[in-house]
Amino acid sequence: MADVVFDRVNKVYENGFHAVKDLSLDIADGEFLVLVGPSGCGKSTALRMVAGLEDVSSGEMRIGGRVVNTVPSKDRDIAMVFQSYALYPHMTVADNIGYGLRIRKTPKAEIDRLVREAAAKLDLTEYLDRRPKQLSGGQRQRVAMGRAIVRRPQVFLMDEPLSNLDAKLRGQMRTEIAQIQQDLGTTTIYVTHDQVEAMTMGDRIALMKKGVLQQIAEPQHMYENPDNIFVAGFIGSPPMNMAAARLDRDGDTYSVQLGEQTLRLSPEALAAHPRLAEYVGRDVVIGIRSEDMEDSRVKGGEGLRATANLVEALGSELMVYFTLDARAADTEDIKLLEKDHGDRAAKSLVSGGVRWVASFAPRARTRPGDAIMVTVDTARMHFFDPETSLAIRA
Amino acid sequence: MSASTTPRPVPATAAGAAPADTQDAPRYLGSAQGNWFARVGWRHLVAWAAIAFSVFPILFVVSAALNPLGQLSSTTLMPNAFSLENFAKLLSTTEFARWFLNSIVIATVAGFLSMFISALAAFAFSRYRFKGRRAGLMFLLLVQMFPQFLAMVAIYIMFTRITQLYPQIGFNTWWGLIILYMGGALGVNTWLMKGFFDTIPKDLDESAKVDGATHTQIFFGIILPLVAPILAVTGLLSFIGTINEIIMANVFLTKSESKTLAIGLYGLIAGERNNNFGIFAAGTLLTAIPTVALFFALQKYIVGGLTAGAVKG
Repeated sequence: MADVVFDRVNKVYENGFHAVKDLSLDIADGEFLVLVGPSGCGKSTALRMVAGLEDVSSGEMRIGGRVVNTVPSKDRDIAMVFQSYALYPHMTVADNIGYGLRIRKTPKAEIDRLVREAAAKLDLTEYLDRRPKQLSGGQRQRVAMGRAIVRRPQVFLMDEPLSNLDAKLRGQMRTEIAQIQQDLGTTTIYVTHDQVEAMTMGDRIALMKKGVLQQIAEPQHMYENPDNIFVAGFIGSPPMNMAAARLDRDGDTYSVQLGEQTLRLSPEALAAHPRLAEYVGRDVVIGIRSEDMEDSRVKGGEGLRATANLVEALGSELMVYFTLDARAADTEDIKLLEKDHGDRAAKSLVSGGVRWVASFAPRARTRPGDAIMVTVDTARMHFFDPETSLAIRA
Repeated sequence: MSASTTPRPVPATAAGAAPADTQDAPRYLGSAQGNWFARVGWRHLVAWAAIAFSVFPILFVVSAALNPLGQLSSTTLMPNAFSLENFAKLLSTTEFARWFLNSIVIATVAGFLSMFISALAAFAFSRYRFKGRRAGLMFLLLVQMFPQFLAMVAIYIMFTRITQLYPQIGFNTWWGLIILYMGGALGVNTWLMKGFFDTIPKDLDESAKVDGATHTQIFFGIILPLVAPILAVTGLLSFIGTINEIIMANVFLTKSESKTLAIGLYGLIAGERNNNFGIFAAGTLLTAIPTVALFFALQKYIVGGLTAGAVKG
């Protein structure tokens, strides 16, 4: 077991592309860290630098206190699971799992024992004599896992290991991998572009954008306290609803102007965001999660008028998609998020407003086309500076 | 072909509903109502023509080899006499056995070495990025565009000198010819293999690397087993090319005991008259044996090797 430290690590490719910029990360011994971000954000490059598959351009990479910048992969005592699984097609499952041990000249009996042990852990015992071609996707994934765990390395590196599986298997393997990691207590760096995996699996999440670390925090903390617009929009499903609004003040009462409508902020909201005072009379980007909105008939209080476009009844809740007459926030981060998620692109295309989604209690009985009044829990609203994209907090 | 002749099941609703639309009615291809010949039959004709075309010469040579008179004029397509006299004469009056050995040794060693060295080169060209990689590949391609006998004069002069200094690898030796053939085949083999190597995902190398393998272990343990088809193809092509090669060998091999099959057999019929084609035919038949044997041994790889590279699979 060992900790992994990135100390101002940079990666510049020969063609001049700066893939990872000044990355500093401290991954504790036994921690499960998820590196997440849209494609091309440098997360895989960062992982491959730990693996020794990419050179570190500058900065220091340490595993277990040892600087490994120039240490070859085989001497780093790490194991990696690839997105493609990278199983050796000409070897049986047993040979695949035992390959690393064979290379290290482990005695044959020992290899056999360790391979069987790993296979038992992964329910692969009956497939040990098969070749990768004869396995299903999920089984191949397990073999790839088996190859990693059999050597008991200091660090597991996983590069989008679940993205080739169908949704159901992915959910299942998600918990399995998390369970295995917990049992073994091995330091793990897990790269994914799927924020659900990030939220559910990691002890901490490190979110990257264009080679720059945006925020590193525990999943729930990141969900509730995103540092900037990008983090807010990336973490969470459905993504956080956002709009541009002007902040006004009338005596002690603050309000945001959303198109024609005015939303008064509660005293709690002000208490949580004391720096809001600096933004009076200026534009801010507001963000609100779907679960922090409710139908006014259920909860009472004043709110925002809108028309429901689409309603998804999930049983436990109603996901109500509505168009709000307001300006879409138009920052670089928002554009990046829209590019990342095709469905988000639709949001900005809706003319005359922004498309939001709220989660109502089922008894709201909202139907598509209904005029609705949406109560917003302003204390749980997020405010961002449109210039810097940073959260306006204390 | 079988797929197109299988009748498609008639949709259940089509029968009872609206009057049968002729367009939707199933066509039974290859049955009495279809135009069998236009659809399928002509292919049989082509196939038989191709078979006749390739079998005819073989049959004729077999017939000539078995014809004790040793004259082409008295040889018919179907053997009209049966005698192994030509084979006996071939082995007793010529140095055929020696030529056979020479050919086998030279072709096997040159084929194997050129396959192996090409594989090493292709691995480097496919897996690593280094200065001169592009230039090297282009150079190999360029060199390949000139026929080898263009360099014959230069090679002759070079080897005249080499023969003086190191007669072990000069004219009339196995090694001299092996080195020459190896060099000739390297370029095209390297390109062929590089294309195949490129289809093997780099993840495999990286995975092995993380597992602790060295470059050598990756090459022999992971990559080589996966490129077996292309190894078989290049090995076989080199072997055939070498065993049939006559121009270079003719320059190189002047002593009777160092001749290869191609040169030796050619010598049998190079005279102005009194050529015994019977013996020659017997020799060519025996010459075909190693090539055919190798073909059969590598058959299952060759199909994969020749198609691979075109379609990733």
